[in-house]
Amino acid sequence: MFNQRAVKKEGYPGEQTAVPEVVRRSRYPCRLSMYSDAPDVEVSIEEFETFALDRLQVLRAIEDAQLRAKGEDDMRKRVSEALEKHMPSHTNRSKLPPRQLVGERRKDHVSHFILRLAFSRTEELRGWFLRYECALLKHRFQNADLAEKQELLSSAQLRLAHLSPADRGAKLGSASSFYAQQEQLFEVDFERVLDLVGRSQVVLRAGRAFVPQSEVATLLIHEFRHTLTQALSVCAKALPQMGEDERLLPVLQNLSNQTARSEYQSTGAAGAVTAESVVGLSDSFPLCMQHLHSQLARDHHLRHGGRMQLGLFLKGIGLGLQDALVFWRRAFSAMTDDQFQKGYAYNIRHNYGMEGKRADYTPYSCHRVIMSNPPGPGDHHGCPFRHFSSERLRAALHKDSLPDPEVREVADLAQAGHYQVACTRHLELRLLHRRQNNQPQPDADIRLSAVTSPNQYFDLCLGCTKPAPPAAGADTASTAAAILSGAPKAAAAIH
Amino acid sequence: MELDDEKMQVDDGIDEISPMTLGHYYQHLFPHALYYKWLNYNGKLATTEYTHREFSFTIKDGIYLRYQSFKDSEEFQRELSRLSPSKIDIGAIFTAPPKHAKSLQPGVFKPVSKELVFDIDMTDYDEIRTCCQGGDICAKCWRFMTVAMHVLDRALREDFGFTKIMWAYSGRRGVHCWVCDERARKLDDPGRKAVAGYLSLIRGGAEQAKKVNLSQRNAQHPHIVRSLEIVEEYFEDVLLVDQEILLTRDRWTKVLNALPDEELRKIMDAQWSKRPDRSSVDKWSELIDAVDKRAAKKGSKFGLSTFERDLMLQMTYPRLDENVTTHVNHLLKSPFCIHPKTGRVCTPIAADQFDSFDPFAVPTLAQLLREVNEAPVHSGSAAKSTSMAPYIGVFEDFVSTVLPTPTGSQPSLDF
Repeated sequence: MFNQRAVKKEGYPGEQTAVPEVVRRSRYPCRLSMYSDAPDVEVSIEEFETFALDRLQVLRAIEDAQLRAKGEDDMRKRVSEALEKHMPSHTNRSKLPPRQLVGERRKDHVSHFILRLAFSRTEELRGWFLRYECALLKHRFQNADLAEKQELLSSAQLRLAHLSPADRGAKLGSASSFYAQQEQLFEVDFERVLDLVGRSQVVLRAGRAFVPQSEVATLLIHEFRHTLTQALSVCAKALPQMGEDERLLPVLQNLSNQTARSEYQSTGAAGAVTAESVVGLSDSFPLCMQHLHSQLARDHHLRHGGRMQLGLFLKGIGLGLQDALVFWRRAFSAMTDDQFQKGYAYNIRHNYGMEGKRADYTPYSCHRVIMSNPPGPGDHHGCPFRHFSSERLRAALHKDSLPDPEVREVADLAQAGHYQVACTRHLELRLLHRRQNNQPQPDADIRLSAVTSPNQYFDLCLGCTKPAPPAAGADTASTAAAILSGAPKAAAAIH
Repeated sequence: MELDDEKMQVDDGIDEISPMTLGHYYQHLFPHALYYKWLNYNGKLATTEYTHREFSFTIKDGIYLRYQSFKDSEEFQRELSRLSPSKIDIGAIFTAPPKHAKSLQPGVFKPVSKELVFDIDMTDYDEIRTCCQGGDICAKCWRFMTVAMHVLDRALREDFGFTKIMWAYSGRRGVHCWVCDERARKLDDPGRKAVAGYLSLIRGGAEQAKKVNLSQRNAQHPHIVRSLEIVEEYFEDVLLVDQEILLTRDRWTKVLNALPDEELRKIMDAQWSKRPDRSSVDKWSELIDAVDKRAAKKGSKFGLSTFERDLMLQMTYPRLDENVTTHVNHLLKSPFCIHPKTGRVCTPIAADQFDSFDPFAVPTLAQLLREVNEAPVHSGSAAKSTSMAPYIGVFEDFVSTVLPTPTGSQPSLDF
């Protein structure tokens, strides 16, 4: 798989014999695994839970890193740290006692299978688990040494053959220059490297993709994703049969309930919201929603992506179904009642769980707004910090009467790819200015924890603006008020 | 022919799209036999490709009926006659007949496959075209669709190796593409997303002036190189001559906004404001000259050296509605529907007619019914004696490509 010269330079396979006998003859001679065989070992109930929780920490750290990391290196660092802390695993070349090496690998193996079971319950959980297990394997593969890579690749049986120079010329012609001259290429069906196809990182010819050696991880992950998807659906079918086991089921349920990002739960911070009161509240909307709201007022229309993003947000702040119908009907003032009823009312009722499969949809998180369904021409949805050109973003920030240096600070954060951090900073500055309206304090500052959903932004903004009600039930309002009354540079974590 | 008795009635409301006129169309003009062969992927007994396929109908008062399915072509025809839908959408093939969806446990009823489809809608060009807006089209802006079909068709055939491709006019302001190779039909959502990602170039919403941003490496990708060649063939004619995208200050401001150099933007604006009457062709060449000079001075870092290429792509490269492509379970209007607004038939477009296809030559329902009424009475297909005939011919050619080859691959039934 890897060319001979590289192998020799690293001193392999000569050192293979250096693998301790105990390790070599154990179930876990290699550090990395495709988890193709289920563990056939005894595990205590305590181990069962702690192993699984530790792995869950790692997967959640990956999810978190994908959201917050500043570039590839930071991402790698964050994941490595989480692994080191919760699930360390060392190479055969480390001088650790063999027993420890085997123990680490056993934990890796067992915990994967416990979570596989715990997360097989619903389509959504399977999707979550699959996504972050693939990311974990990719991370470990990329950080593995050559021998480990080789072992994992051969265990995955990818059935790959290098393209000979003659074939390369014949099949690719001038397109060959898309790849570095000396890089080895594999030819595979394009379905096996979808990730690379979607980003135009491979040349395609008649349904075959030409994959460079450096991207072999993509093929490996494809294989892993494929087998794990199948395994998860087998697990899902087996799960009901475990209903009798009173020891395991609660543990499994508990595990899968802990997926990191729970959906936004409406706090009702704004009290009863009516079609009329939306305008008054829009002052406390995050930039994305202010933008949609003003575009709606300007065009008397929004395209589908915008209607969904704004509609579910309004639902989240407490706009009921009847008021939502009134709100949208008035907003779409240019169309007839008939057009509205036929084209739009169904979707609004659908969002409120009154049509179709009657799911009660929750507002979009920032992650969703930023990552999925990017706006196309004519669309106004998305995240301004992500989807506006930097000039448009600056103009929007200026409209908020932020002074120049602050506009620059926020725009620079967005430019550097920290969209949510930029949005949070924007909120902090807005709040600061409101508070200082009468008496400016040069050193004052407000620090909030990162905004993760437009609705959370709204709650924070509103809570900080309104005086907290005397016996406030709304946590956010009182916490935020506490920050504001505190000393300058008050720090707080608000969730 | 039996139509005779009804001639008077039909003449009364012939210009309307009504359950009655639609009923006549479905009964006498809709190419049922070919349509069945296509979706059954077989000329003979119904397979699950057909019986497990979702259709949905829009019937009177805008009521939308999802999860319709049929055991054969006869049942499909009966329902069409009974309901006279103003629109038929084609959905996915499911694990069970969709009409039984409600009686099945959730999780059991799932979409399995569907043609890989693309939808290009002229409204996505509203920020570029100057001739029409919204639902309207004319011969000038139709050429955006011509370019789109050329670019995508070549990529689907040469890069992905697909061969069973049908293009269709949507009946109003866009085109659809149905890729029917088995490999394309089997793609799951991530697979469709990857193909859509590969073919999409225009990124960014209304608040992003520059929508094509290619890395140096991606600009060398064979698909981009080939697409650029096609785009270059059309750019001057379509954008500069026909659309006159630099004619007025409003128009050139939009183009200049995508220029990554504020100073140059002001210079060009001042220059053109002084002599606004020059043609877009002249202004464009002035702009490119100015950009090139500046790029030579400032170096390649500022995106100036790629401005011409990026702008040509941004304004000419196909704009896909990706959501239609990326989900197996997404419905798309069926060919041979009557467009409810224009009355035009949603017709196939032959792959060698991208340049000559004229959407305004496509017959309307009223025109077809009149032709049927005036046609001499004879037996045989009514459609063949109307202006539908050439489009049915295109469809027939396409359907013959999706059917299993009659000899060779199939064992003989002779004893």
